[in-house]
Amino acid sequence: MTDLVEPGVAGPDGADPGPQERGRRVELASAGCFVVATLAALALAVVYWQGGQPQAEGVLLALTLGGIGTGIVLWAKHFMPTDEVAEDRHPLESSEEEIAEFAADFEAGQSTLASRRILLATAGGACAALGVALVFPVRSLGPRPGRGLKETPYKNAPIRVVVESGDPVRPADLEIDGFITVWPEGYTDAADASTLLIHFRRDQDFQPRPGREDWTVDDIVAYSKLCTHVGCPVGLYQAQLGLLLCPCHQSTFDVMQGARPVFGPAARALPQLPLAQDDDGFIIATGDFSAPVGPGFWDRGR
Amino acid sequence: MSELATPGPPKRRRGPEHLLTHRLARWVDSRLGTAKLARTALNKVFPDHWSFMLGELGLYCFIVLVLTGVYLTFFFSPSLNTVIYQGSYGPLRGVEMSEAYRSALELSFDVRAGLVMRQIHHWAALLFLASLGVHLARVFFTGAFRRPRELNWIIGCTLLILAMLNGLFGYSLLDDQLSGTGLRIVYSITLSVPLVGTWLASLLFGGEFPGPDIISRLYVIHILLVPAVITILLTAHLAILVRQKHTHFPGPGRRDDNVVGERMWPTYAAKALGLFFLTSALLAFLGGVFQINPIWIYGPFDPAEVSAASQPDWYMGWLDGALRIMPGWEIRAFGFEIPNPFFPGVLLAGLTFTLLYAWPFLEARVTRDHAEHHLLDRPRQRPVRTALGMATIAFYTVLFLGGAADVLGATFGLSVNAILWTFRFLCLLAPPVVGVVTYKLCKEMSARDGVPTASRVTVREIPRRLRHGEERDEAERESPALRS
Amino acid sequence: MIGRLHRWLVAAPVLVTALATPLAVAAAPRQEGGDGQIAEGRELYLTGCSSCHGQDGKGIDAPSGERGPSIVDAGEAGAYYYLSTGRMPLASSEEQPTRKEPAYTPDQIDALVAYVASLGDGPALPDVDVRQGDLAAGGEIFRANCQACHSASGSGGALSYGRAAPRLSDATPKQVGAAVRSGPGQMPVFGPEVISDEELDGLARYVEYLQHPEDPGGIPIGRTGPIPEGFVAWLIALPALLALVAWIGTRSPIRQARAAAEADTEPAAAGGEDD
Repeated sequence: MTDLVEPGVAGPDGADPGPQERGRRVELASAGCFVVATLAALALAVVYWQGGQPQAEGVLLALTLGGIGTGIVLWAKHFMPTDEVAEDRHPLESSEEEIAEFAADFEAGQSTLASRRILLATAGGACAALGVALVFPVRSLGPRPGRGLKETPYKNAPIRVVVESGDPVRPADLEIDGFITVWPEGYTDAADASTLLIHFRRDQDFQPRPGREDWTVDDIVAYSKLCTHVGCPVGLYQAQLGLLLCPCHQSTFDVMQGARPVFGPAARALPQLPLAQDDDGFIIATGDFSAPVGPGFWDRGR
Repeated sequence: MSELATPGPPKRRRGPEHLLTHRLARWVDSRLGTAKLARTALNKVFPDHWSFMLGELGLYCFIVLVLTGVYLTFFFSPSLNTVIYQGSYGPLRGVEMSEAYRSALELSFDVRAGLVMRQIHHWAALLFLASLGVHLARVFFTGAFRRPRELNWIIGCTLLILAMLNGLFGYSLLDDQLSGTGLRIVYSITLSVPLVGTWLASLLFGGEFPGPDIISRLYVIHILLVPAVITILLTAHLAILVRQKHTHFPGPGRRDDNVVGERMWPTYAAKALGLFFLTSALLAFLGGVFQINPIWIYGPFDPAEVSAASQPDWYMGWLDGALRIMPGWEIRAFGFEIPNPFFPGVLLAGLTFTLLYAWPFLEARVTRDHAEHHLLDRPRQRPVRTALGMATIAFYTVLFLGGAADVLGATFGLSVNAILWTFRFLCLLAPPVVGVVTYKLCKEMSARDGVPTASRVTVREIPRRLRHGEERDEAERESPALRS
Repeated sequence: MIGRLHRWLVAAPVLVTALATPLAVAAAPRQEGGDGQIAEGRELYLTGCSSCHGQDGKGIDAPSGERGPSIVDAGEAGAYYYLSTGRMPLASSEEQPTRKEPAYTPDQIDALVAYVASLGDGPALPDVDVRQGDLAAGGEIFRANCQACHSASGSGGALSYGRAAPRLSDATPKQVGAAVRSGPGQMPVFGPEVISDEELDGLARYVEYLQHPEDPGGIPIGRTGPIPEGFVAWLIALPALLALVAWIGTRSPIRQARAAAEADTEPAAAGGEDD
């Protein structure tokens, strides 16, 4: 079965120093790999003890593992038997006899029953009922999806808009071509209420949607920041073009035309927030967004 | 027992039975009777083509993932409670973040060897999926999924899906800006399922996005549930492989009713062990030398913020690309809608995996070939299958590139709009072109080899001796046999 | 007596004016600069800029050929940004401005900046001092306002229709301040109410940090995330693994030499049973 090359021993066909000499060299190389691995492991211990350094740790660990691996592979390739052997495949199926014996033994337990059908049916029904009952705890994993998806804290309008630090915003705070993210006052943690305020230029031909002519304040318009595609924040405002670009999948919205999508996979405009000014001159929202914010879902329109 | 002898000149005074290894082996055997089984195992024959080791690469990556992963669990804290960072990374000191993110930063900056372990773990995940990909391709193009290995194919596809999901969930645990954006997309795709989407999303996340529960739930799924299922399926995958014996390529002495190769012991086992060490070595090298997932640059997750060039890990790139390439179509009626992300995110993904699972059965039906196969095909000899496979790869490659559209645009100074439009057409045009070219190449290469390619019905069966010594070549009845 | 009073009545206003003028000049907005500097700026402007931006900075609105936007409200900040990054002057109005070596010396840039500032009331150049800046706060502002276009690592990003938000690797703190206040190109404008001057110090300090960040993990491969990581996995790591697999799988040459000597190609019969 073997034609192990043992270093120092001549092969069966006489003195052929070639493979033997090579064999000796490979044996030394293999041993050398193990030595390198040992040294690397020691070095790794030192590095670790000295405080650690990620690159050194990775390289030394690689040398340790690689040394062992290379040593083993050299050993296997050159010194272990690699003669080809053949093994017969036997049929995978059981023989008819075996199947018959199994069936007979399996059926043996049933033969005393008068009617198996009723028992099986009722047992099956019980197991099914248990299975259904076991699923009920899944219901506790989360709340019923209710109005939450269709409303935001802006439903408490009229309500001031504030920046993340909680400070309210005056129109003059926002330069022309400026944009800023705001939330309803007191709800700066609400993930669905992030809003973009954009101060557009006169020459950009802003066209309010029908019924929204008074939704802006001093050329400042507000849209939901959540992309109507899959909900990434649309944080990219291209001021010259007047386009909002979502960095996730490149949905593009035209700010001057009600943030309707002009490119990309988004199929609906960003919902708009109606703005006004309160008596102190701060910007307020006078109602919730024009549509449910963020990505679509089955009954969004109901 | 002499197979267990260690090499070297025999001891002069005592026989080998007194060595510790012998005594141990006899101790176990006297209680379990392992000698016969062990001998069978030692003599198992494994064909030794290099392409048969690709699955092993996946196995070794999985082992490294588990080992490094266990280490990481000792430091990571899957909590979304808000904390203020006071660790050693200056640019985030004083910043509000979740406990999960903070523990990941601590692991990266303040735990000795923590960063290397984290990086090895992440590189191992990328290579785990890459190995599974090339292994899948090898199995597909050589027809190794045919009877009797359909079950192993199904298990393998399931392993692929589980690996992808576990990778996605794993890097999402850290609650950094990039992976949190990914979770937002997962939530929205779940939401887009008609009828039950809002329920599914609410149950999975514990409410509306982001919710306080998702990280701790993903943690349990990532460290316990999915690895357990992967381990069970992997064991079954290997057990079936051993039971059915590995396939082999046609060649001298190789037939459908035998398997030719090396014995398991000592050579094959040694090579496998060596490959494990070498794979781990490469992963360790990557983990130390190439920075991966620098979460400190991304910052903690904030649902109102996002970075340019936000991509998922490579193996999810095809889904991301599909989302980008998809034109802005939705179906709306009577107040109900099927939102846009459903089509690329759910339908396409579902179709992909359904076709993948069904392939062995589809091919068997179309070729009317239900015979057992243990000899592999050379891809060129199955031009239709190879062409379809290459066309599919072309399709998903376009999707992968689509996922990188903004980075391609920024790197090469091209319009991202033009790139996406190009990919919209390319994903439909490239597959047939690639398919036809592949088909012709296969035919040509086969012609040069002088071997006819398989026609619609293919068999290379040699009469097998079945139980009771019957000879049967049912396949030969149905179609002409090919010369091998 | 009347004579002395008369002298005082004449001298006093002269004295007051003489004393007041330097004060008035010093207190005037920085934008006005010295008249000499503005004049020099105007000369440079007429030579290098007016062909696109018009004789008086109001722009040239031609359907094709040499044309450029109005720069009347560009202010110190806008002018400084474009000139110091070499984006202006542009060889042709069809070209997209990209960072280059500035065409003017720092003094010339100062003069041009003073001139452009005098044309209107655009944003002033902020006084950015990174040593005063809070790095962590700057990072938060960066991630809230800047990373969507410039990416979290400051590597830049794609915009619509072929435009791009540039890399920040060469931006000086003064240029950061100038860009933030003037919103060049597609960039929005972030005024002092949105990003205060103190916050701007921190922001500029963070941008500076991003130019040489800590990379404890090793080779940063771009810091842009999964795409370069995927390339490393597929183009470096997987080929290495395949090479290893191929090496392990190939026949040993030592064995081949023996096999050739033995000239025996039949596989031996297997021993042992299978299960």
